[in-house]
Amino acid sequence: MRFSILIGGKAGQGPNILTQLVGEALVNKGYFVFYSRDYESLIRGGHNFNTLTFSDSESYSNDSVIDIIVALDENSVKKHKDKLKKGGIIIEGSGKDNMYFAGRLFKVLCMDFSILEKELKKLRNFDENLKNSRIGYEEETRACIVFKANKGINGRFMNGSSGIAEGAIKSGMEVYYAYPMTPATPVLFELASKKDKGSFKIFELENEISVICAAIGSSAWGMKSMVGTSGGGFDLMTEAMSFAGQAEIPIVCYLASRPGPGTGVATSTGQGDLNMARHCGHGEFFRMIVAGGDPKECEELTSQSFYFSQKYKIPAIVMSDKHLAESFYTIGEEAKITKSEKTMKAGRYNSYEHTETGEATEDTEITKKNFERRMKKAKEIEKEAGKFEQYKIYGKKTSKNLIISYGSTKGAILDSISGKDAKFLQILYIEPFSEKIKDELKKAEKIVLVENSATGMLADLIAEKTGIIIKDKILKYDGRAFFCDELSREIEEKIK
Amino acid sequence: MKAETNLSTGIPNTWCPGCFNFSILAGVKNAIAKEIAEGKKKEDFAIVSGIGCHAKIFDYIHLNGINSLHGRVLPVCLGMKVAKPNLSVIGFSGDGDAYAEGMEHLIHMARFNPDVKYIVHNNQVFALTVGQPTPTTELGYKDKTTPDGVKLMPLNPIKLMLAANAGFVARVYADVKQIEEVLREAFKHKGFAFIEIIQPCIIFHKDEGVKEKMYSLQEQGHDRSNWQEAMKKAEEFDYNNAEKIPSGIFYQKERATFEDIFLRYR
Repeated sequence: MRFSILIGGKAGQGPNILTQLVGEALVNKGYFVFYSRDYESLIRGGHNFNTLTFSDSESYSNDSVIDIIVALDENSVKKHKDKLKKGGIIIEGSGKDNMYFAGRLFKVLCMDFSILEKELKKLRNFDENLKNSRIGYEEETRACIVFKANKGINGRFMNGSSGIAEGAIKSGMEVYYAYPMTPATPVLFELASKKDKGSFKIFELENEISVICAAIGSSAWGMKSMVGTSGGGFDLMTEAMSFAGQAEIPIVCYLASRPGPGTGVATSTGQGDLNMARHCGHGEFFRMIVAGGDPKECEELTSQSFYFSQKYKIPAIVMSDKHLAESFYTIGEEAKITKSEKTMKAGRYNSYEHTETGEATEDTEITKKNFERRMKKAKEIEKEAGKFEQYKIYGKKTSKNLIISYGSTKGAILDSISGKDAKFLQILYIEPFSEKIKDELKKAEKIVLVENSATGMLADLIAEKTGIIIKDKILKYDGRAFFCDELSREIEEKIK
Repeated sequence: MKAETNLSTGIPNTWCPGCFNFSILAGVKNAIAKEIAEGKKKEDFAIVSGIGCHAKIFDYIHLNGINSLHGRVLPVCLGMKVAKPNLSVIGFSGDGDAYAEGMEHLIHMARFNPDVKYIVHNNQVFALTVGQPTPTTELGYKDKTTPDGVKLMPLNPIKLMLAANAGFVARVYADVKQIEEVLREAFKHKGFAFIEIIQPCIIFHKDEGVKEKMYSLQEQGHDRSNWQEAMKKAEEFDYNNAEKIPSGIFYQKERATFEDIFLRYR
């Protein structure tokens, strides 16, 4: 059973703190909680809202319809009342602060005040918050009949950004360079909050070009180095990705997408950067590309990127997007971290084609030999990647209906196919691409691509790697993630 | 000289015969050799170059390092310092590298103040791409891409570096002794050192009497700790034309380095 709460207000009114507080309380009670953030590119005012879905069973997406609207301002009612289910509840009131609303919401959810009090202890201004929330709790008279939680879950509540940061820290990352850009910046926040306890440093430099070149300098001299950015910043980094490919210097790059082209929709979500990542940088060199579908996979794949990047001295890209980076998920299991050795030391490195001792060369034999050596290395990576989970299959294993996707769409797909005659193939390794995926595709009678983009770029990749052309595509390109209920109907339509 | 041989890679040199880069190479090697003779090890040094004629210096000096990308010398240097704060890093750039493609890094590195020595081979022309004008080429200069001649006033990098708060700002001629001396001074300086070498290109941008116009700031008793005086001296040559061109250390003042502020020595 699923239940959805929309919490809206102006930037600065604190809808995020309120959502986080309710979310953590629900996770602690044993619910599966998922919430996504919808905000505008401004600092004060405007309209921001978070949609929180909680359930007694696994749940990783939102629905288009809402059970409770918590309106920190009038605009939130106006904007969202059409989504309210019949019999749904609106919690509103002018001139009140977010903690007052927390009190009212807890009452509506039949949650004991002591739980709220416990959560408030994690925040600043405890006394004032307690007072305001108690007023709200006492003023509210309505209550929903809420289903019981599944006490056995004991989950962690985290977003994709903390998954990336945790994965990097656990991989022994020593330095992270970045230039601020939504939605990659939350990783920088995470790392900044942990840097004094960790053995890594973070630096914000003058632009993304400087960021990746400094990371390459550090990496060459033995440091495990990482950079993070979004599409526009990644554009600037691509020249140096190519440099790393030639000089054979490891680098891990976190690429968090948002809709382009250009500045695009700065605080929205989209998966439009797949082709850019695959083809980044001039010349022929191997780029490893991985993409998780939840925070745990982000953590695991980041550690695998460090492993491959160090072992084979290659650039590796860990992809995500705004939806995955900033949504909070309930994660049951601990991530499996792949340990990596440090492989670099002081030497002579060159962005020119070069001799074994690092001097630039125009020699035809050496040029040819170096290309062949690098291509052979790519083959070895391909082979070793087979030991890892390059893709996963969920749902009804015997079904002839196959949904295929990668990245942040995983949550909505998993929730949508529940109970349907369908299975879901999630690709985690874009490069190297598993040959076995072709066999899986061949077994299916109907293949449906789901992607948060206007063109469905994963179909290009699959056509290139397998020769199989996917015609059925469910695409969403309004800057928002898929809703479970809508996607469920669309999948039904495709597979009937 | 033993140390000289020690620093050579033995790679055939492909600079034009008579190129002033040979003087720069010799000056740099002499300075490093003296540092080594005084107790430093080869492993204590790293060199980073950009792309252009100057960058071939990477192939001729037998030290660890990175031949990086056009314009990206300084962030690579910074990254190496982050990894090994005690490393003695020398960056080499051309004027295209430093003042066109990599301008943003130059300004910020002067501000960050890592202990990096940065040598700009300023021959006032893009030589390896056969002679196009750079940001420091004088008015009227013509080449195949600029048949009507340069119409924009050149940039004054010395003024720029002073304004960007660089702690060590120097200009010398492409002369072995001058280079050796200024680099030795720069090694003593704790922090970012900007050294511009006025270097004729014997093919595309000949000397035209520049050397004769140059005079030594230090011989004239210039007070290198005085920023205003340094700025005045910097204005004497606008890279277009001049009666006299000051040479030597314009300005020197130490302050906390990037390493002091952000990196705890291990």
